[in-house]
Amino acid sequence: MAATFFGEVVRTPCRAGTEDEEEEEEGRRETPEDREVRRQLARKREVRLFRRQTKTTLEVSLLEKHPCSKFIIAVGNNAVAFLSSFVMNSGAWEEVGCAKLWNEWCRTTDTAHLSPAEAFCVFYHLKSNPSVMLCQCSCYVAEDQQYQWLEKVFGSCPRKNMQVTILTCRHVTDYKTSESTSSLHTPFLKALKTQNFKEPPFCSLLEQPNIVHDLPAAVLSYCQVWRIPAVLYLCYTDVMKLDLITVEAFKPVLSSRSLKCLVKNIPQSTEILKKLMTTNEIQSNIYT
Amino acid sequence: MASRYDRAITVFSPDGHLFQVEYAQEAVKKGSTAVGIRGTNIVVLGVEKKSVAKLQDERTVRKICALDDHVCMAFAGLTADARVVINRARVECQSHKLTVEDPVTVEYITRFIATLKQKYTQSNGRRPFGISALIVGFDDDGVPRLYQTDPSGTYHAWKANAIGRSAKTVREFLEKNYTEDAIAHDNEAIKLAIRALLEVVQSGGKNIELAIIRRNQPLKMFSAKEIELQVNEIEKEKEEAEKKKSKKTT
Repeated sequence: MAATFFGEVVRTPCRAGTEDEEEEEEGRRETPEDREVRRQLARKREVRLFRRQTKTTLEVSLLEKHPCSKFIIAVGNNAVAFLSSFVMNSGAWEEVGCAKLWNEWCRTTDTAHLSPAEAFCVFYHLKSNPSVMLCQCSCYVAEDQQYQWLEKVFGSCPRKNMQVTILTCRHVTDYKTSESTSSLHTPFLKALKTQNFKEPPFCSLLEQPNIVHDLPAAVLSYCQVWRIPAVLYLCYTDVMKLDLITVEAFKPVLSSRSLKCLVKNIPQSTEILKKLMTTNEIQSNIYT
Repeated sequence: MASRYDRAITVFSPDGHLFQVEYAQEAVKKGSTAVGIRGTNIVVLGVEKKSVAKLQDERTVRKICALDDHVCMAFAGLTADARVVINRARVECQSHKLTVEDPVTVEYITRFIATLKQKYTQSNGRRPFGISALIVGFDDDGVPRLYQTDPSGTYHAWKANAIGRSAKTVREFLEKNYTEDAIAHDNEAIKLAIRALLEVVQSGGKNIELAIIRRNQPLKMFSAKEIELQVNEIEKEKEEAEKKKSKKTT
């Protein structure tokens, strides 16, 4: 026990261990209230997979219901814009499911009425070839929700004869390199693949000690564990908001086996991309 | 690429580029198109109206501004930079009038604006102005003038020019269609400006704003109705020209 300058008596920290352990244990014991709060929080943060058209929840995992041979996942607004302009415009895509989730990153606390932009991951398959699946994920999936997301999408026993491609962006300040940062020409692509992925990637591999974060990392780890061939294309950029140059940095990926047959009209795609950019800019008063 | 030499305005790259100035010119391309035409007895400024948000007051989004009774300008690029430049130019116009007892010549005020812009390309800690301007007016000698300035601080006299988004397309149209006949009559010069804008403006006459200055007359802004009338005339002329063409071929 020691007295502070102000006359309070405080317990001095003891490295040998605390004396009054009983007191502390009482504090640690969970009350029914705590349990209820924890349960409510878990319910709030649950990842729900459902079909928007019928408003029914999916009973089985998405890939069990819709087995696929090619699965392309876009995480983040630039990757989503890339797939929307270059892949989704050539062919008819049908929405097969949507994952709704809430976490502290969402701008609303109302879990019942979440807007698609905030909290949805939408899944599509190509009408002419339903074994090609696409996921547009522009919301943030928190660490505790990633496992749930994987279970609900891939299932507990996924097929191995499918190929997964993940596209995402990261800010260039996260990129660690021994070279001078002024020699980096952003945006640039880096790839990371699972052991079973045999195709050569379209850019250099991500060097150590750089790591991948969030949902793309979770998906890639999952694929590595289940021996599914998967590749992640990570675009390091200095503009995190929707940006034409960053989106176009993904273009080399269009010549990959997964995407080659899905891309038909590149000039038209570039036009669609420009329109996407201008609709975002229209409310901006910076330029007249 | 430019990375090492593009952060500071005061640094030249080894091959002589001032990247910040070049990037400022890219900012100009993000503004909507503005076109200026120098006629024999008239100068015309036409701009593509920016789409305003639903709750925004349209009158506060202005691309054509009067600098003095006999000079006006249109700009393309960063709105806030334009406001600063216009304010300084307006003060200079009045200061000149008070000091020298003569209104500014169009060339004088253009040079003032260009010098101001150049200062900001050679200052530490400041960035260039991200606007290009088309300055039109009549001098005391009654000669019509059209000048264009850009972020680097250069200025040139033009017979007709365009700035902003799709400026290249409009300039090519003007190069093909600007003839002495085309600008001989005031109405023809106005139509030429509108036709040039219609090449690049989506949804036609509703998105065009026009201003003219005639010799010894103040600036006149066209109302939406007047622009619509002109657009209708242009369309009629187009139809008639096409009919004639089809008659010739048959």
